[in-house]
Amino acid sequence: MPTPLTHTELSALIKGKAGIFIDPQDLERPEITFEEFGVDSLGLLGVVGELENRHGVQIVDGAEMAKTPSEFLTAVNTSFSKVGS
Amino acid sequence: MTDDQAQRRAVLTGIGVVAPNGVGTDDFWKAVREGASVLGPISREGCGDQPLQVAGEVRGFEPGGSVEERYLVQTDRFTHFAMAAADLALADAALDPSAGSPFAVGVVTAAGSGGGEFGQRELQQLWGHGPEYVGPYQSIAWFYAASTGQVSIRGGFKGPCGVVASDEAGGLDALAHAARAIRRGTDAVVVGAAEAPLAPYSMVCQLGYPELSLSSDPYSAYLPFTAQAAGFAPAEGGAMFVVEAQAAAVARGARIRAVIAGHAATFTGASRWADSRVGLAHAIRGALHEARCAPDEIDVVFADALGTPEADEAEVLAIRDALGEHATHVPVTAPKAGFGRAYSGAPVLDVAAAVLAMEEGVVPPTPGVTKICHEVDLVTRFARTCELRTALVLSRGLMGSNAALVLRRGQDG
Repeated sequence: MPTPLTHTELSALIKGKAGIFIDPQDLERPEITFEEFGVDSLGLLGVVGELENRHGVQIVDGAEMAKTPSEFLTAVNTSFSKVGS
Repeated sequence: MTDDQAQRRAVLTGIGVVAPNGVGTDDFWKAVREGASVLGPISREGCGDQPLQVAGEVRGFEPGGSVEERYLVQTDRFTHFAMAAADLALADAALDPSAGSPFAVGVVTAAGSGGGEFGQRELQQLWGHGPEYVGPYQSIAWFYAASTGQVSIRGGFKGPCGVVASDEAGGLDALAHAARAIRRGTDAVVVGAAEAPLAPYSMVCQLGYPELSLSSDPYSAYLPFTAQAAGFAPAEGGAMFVVEAQAAAVARGARIRAVIAGHAATFTGASRWADSRVGLAHAIRGALHEARCAPDEIDVVFADALGTPEADEAEVLAIRDALGEHATHVPVTAPKAGFGRAYSGAPVLDVAAAVLAMEEGVVPPTPGVTKICHEVDLVTRFARTCELRTALVLSRGLMGSNAALVLRRGQDG
């Protein structure tokens, strides 16, 4: 099972795949949405693709439609936790 | 013209240029006026070992200096050019996009090939690693419509938007499309074209064009209207404009730089240059008719200047067919001989040059050309000073489209 995705790693992935920097501490704030930073579903789909390629795992369909970082991290880490279980 | 028609007349209030011979109108105009040639060997990565060697590259452009990182990652170089040029045009027009209704401003661009460099990178991922390695932004970045979409998103412009894919002459057609949107009630349109055809895959796509100059000598690669004419050198870059309803421009105290007075377009078939004579002449007549302009009112012609003997001859004859006896007096010029043809970006760079020429009362020369072999008053060597109230811009595409645009000087409004 891959190590659960952290806010810091997510920040770096969004920067690389969508060209948008969000401070990892901001990603931890429960009320923030991807929309307010301009991260769209294509940007998140790029992050999903990178995680799938990097870890050889299938991430649940629709993770790229997450509205908030916590929703996205839950979808990713739930998919991770199913690996090898 | 009724008052209402005058109110909704399309006027040009902002110019933004990203060209091989200059980024911004000051540098561009200085180079155009001097007749400087910036054609040279193609230096972009991966382009060195192709038969196409000479082109006009935009060298002084740092995309990161004008475009936010998210758009750099998500879009191709042709869209970077369009966004940077749009910013320059909006600043020139002093149009604050947040001041009025977002629905009052639209975006129209023309494109000849879309985002070839971005597309090549993703196709290499596809065949080198597999479909799961293709990035999601491939779905939009390569597309002809990308620049209109991204300029609209980035500026928050929610008025009528459009994309014209009608060959090189589409640059002029885009301006006509914008003028129609304005007549129908939109206050302003950010309009123009920019291309980025200097990347390996994009260059291979051009090698099939018999009109492409494969000369390795920058000084003889593109010499339209001469006995040495051996095709054209391609270029990257383009121009964007702010075009507004006259009433809206006057109401906010904007400087009216030119009036989009008339336009017409025709189609005569790919590489059928002799036939383009009739099509181009018909387009000129149509543009003059819409502009209510007599042939002898044309003070300067910015020629298409394809650079093959047959096409150049057809253009000279088309000008004569449409302008009659006046064709023997009217100065004709082709600044693009100094920096290349940027496909759909080529005619909009001519529009920028035409507006600047009218403002200064100077016809810029055709760079590099000295001895012409057609019966036309082509301005060569040095700029020619003369009063210019009305300019005619001509464009033809390799796929057979022809277009003509009549511009009037802004101060004569």
